[in-house]
Amino acid sequence: MLEIENLHVSVAGKKILDGLTLKVADGEVAAIMGPNGSGKSTLSYVVAGRSDYEVTEGSIKLDGVDLAEKSPAERAALGLFLVFQYPLEIPGVTTMTFLKAAINAQRKARGEEELATPDFMRRVRDAAKKLNISQDMLKRPVNFGFSGGEKKRMEILQMALLEPKFAILDEMDSGLDIDALRVCAEGVNALRSKERGLLVITHYQRLLDYIAPDTVHVMHKGRIVRSGGPELALELEKSGYADYAEEAA
Amino acid sequence: MGAILQNPTQAEQDLLASFTAGKAERERKAAFDRFANLGLPSRRVESWHYTDLRAKLRAAPPPAKKPDAAALAQARDRLGPVDRLRIVTVDGFFSRELSDELSTVPGVRLRPLLEDDVRLKRLVEGAGDALLDLNGAFAEGGFVLEIAPGGRVDAAFELVALDGGTGARGRFGRGMVILGEDSRATFLETRGESGEGFSDSALFLSLGRGSELDYACRSTGGASVEVQTFVARLEQDARLRATAFVAGAPFLRRQLFVSCAGENAEAHLSGGALLRGREHVDTTLTLTHDAPSCISRETFKYVLADQAEGVFQGKIIVPPHAQKTDGKMLCRGLLLSDEASMSSKPELEIFADDVACGHGAACARLDESQLFYMESRGIPRVQAQAILVEAFAADAFDIIDDEDLRDLLKLDLKRLLGTNFPWGAFS
Repeated sequence: MLEIENLHVSVAGKKILDGLTLKVADGEVAAIMGPNGSGKSTLSYVVAGRSDYEVTEGSIKLDGVDLAEKSPAERAALGLFLVFQYPLEIPGVTTMTFLKAAINAQRKARGEEELATPDFMRRVRDAAKKLNISQDMLKRPVNFGFSGGEKKRMEILQMALLEPKFAILDEMDSGLDIDALRVCAEGVNALRSKERGLLVITHYQRLLDYIAPDTVHVMHKGRIVRSGGPELALELEKSGYADYAEEAA
Repeated sequence: MGAILQNPTQAEQDLLASFTAGKAERERKAAFDRFANLGLPSRRVESWHYTDLRAKLRAAPPPAKKPDAAALAQARDRLGPVDRLRIVTVDGFFSRELSDELSTVPGVRLRPLLEDDVRLKRLVEGAGDALLDLNGAFAEGGFVLEIAPGGRVDAAFELVALDGGTGARGRFGRGMVILGEDSRATFLETRGESGEGFSDSALFLSLGRGSELDYACRSTGGASVEVQTFVARLEQDARLRATAFVAGAPFLRRQLFVSCAGENAEAHLSGGALLRGREHVDTTLTLTHDAPSCISRETFKYVLADQAEGVFQGKIIVPPHAQKTDGKMLCRGLLLSDEASMSSKPELEIFADDVACGHGAACARLDESQLFYMESRGIPRVQAQAILVEAFAADAFDIIDDEDLRDLLKLDLKRLLGTNFPWGAFS
């Protein structure tokens, strides 16, 4: 379970999150929608532990563990995963090397044995197949020269291999065409389970046609201004965000 | 001798005083005289501007003597089994006893280097440098490795330069590799001399028409003050791919003089250097396109931590007759601390009008976004840094065609970062 309580965050002295409170239970798929600049991506970075965001007040807990003092890697080992809106390219580091380092670092942090190479290879091959990721892509440097769709599929591949307890999908639909969106969404849906919570951040209802949420939250000016069920997303698609901006004000 | 040199430093006095030569050793005397005229280069000499050897070398340790049985035995103990054909020098002296028997390898000849070797003279004249002269004055017992025309040797050669446990000494190793027409070889140089003393070594390469050489120098450690000179001459259609892996050298100047002397020759030069503490590594190269339609590529990567200093000076010379020259040079520094520094000076001297030449130099820190991305996948920060550093430096070794050699260098780098990271005082 992810519990965010009264979260205040500043970047370079500018307040971005202003008392945000949100709970997402195990097995729940929560969607956060909101206009540009409402703080959605900041929320995802802060939960993942990016150091240039200053938490001035409030708390973030994953399964009861306070994340405040945890490094991004420690948060990942606790079971947190972020699907980046813009996945980074890492020239010179092959995807396989990267995946192996990530999986084994997390296993090590949890006191588990490192994966033997044949076992690792088999897992990657199986997961890649489901996402139409070719062997050739796995041999290339991480995300280097990949199309937007390939990068997002690679994010979902990582998620499948790392088996997080909780995943945040930051505008997974950006830069994706319809087919790529479907493949990625199917990948995410395959990972839905009673134990795993998901937080889907998006501008558009469209993504939620593919990944059906249990709850929908509207974010504006750094806080949640309205919460409801899936019908809220449909309503937003019709009316836009203008009403909520006024409510929040 | 040496009277011409005004106000010699202690090191210069030491060097002048310790020189002896037999009557017949004209080349050695000539080299010494040239050195004695100019002395050790200081920052006033443009090509030594960032590496003030005259100030750094306060005193010159006595030149090493030909290794005795004890020194050879000590060196022998440090030789592990390898599947390469090994040429061993101890304190700069070629040791036939410790080297592999090459007389049984078809098309290969290993012999002592004579001071009046015609090919050597031509290579030395093409370079022209005080430290090369100093090497010429003091070097004794060098070697020549010759590959016959058309020769193809499956195994790689390895020059292992060791010390004989003799402490702070002046070491002046030299060797020459001659590739006959259309021959092909792989040559690894492993510098394993003591951390004490002064070393001034030279390697000469002569690449015959259509020959091909993969060359790598591993310099992990080294003398407190070290100069390595690399001189290569490429005849028509010859291909040279030369790289260096440098780590742990306290004060190292690597100087490369490469001449594309025949049409369509290709020289690919690179290096990956990891510096920390107060280490100083200078790569200075002069690449002369002395014939039309030659290609040269240079890629040098420096990783700098703590107060380390990196220097790269690269000069591509294209005389009027070298039309259709294609040359590109790149130096990149990765700064891991605020106090580390990198000085890059790429130069092009172009006198021909139909050429494509370019150069670039850049310095940067590790990318915070990349680090965060890796950390968010569970890779601890220090490990993420090591992975990025490795990727940055390893790229320099990709010019090497011989897969085994390339893998060896990359493995060396990985091992070093695996056991020694963080590579300096940064977090």
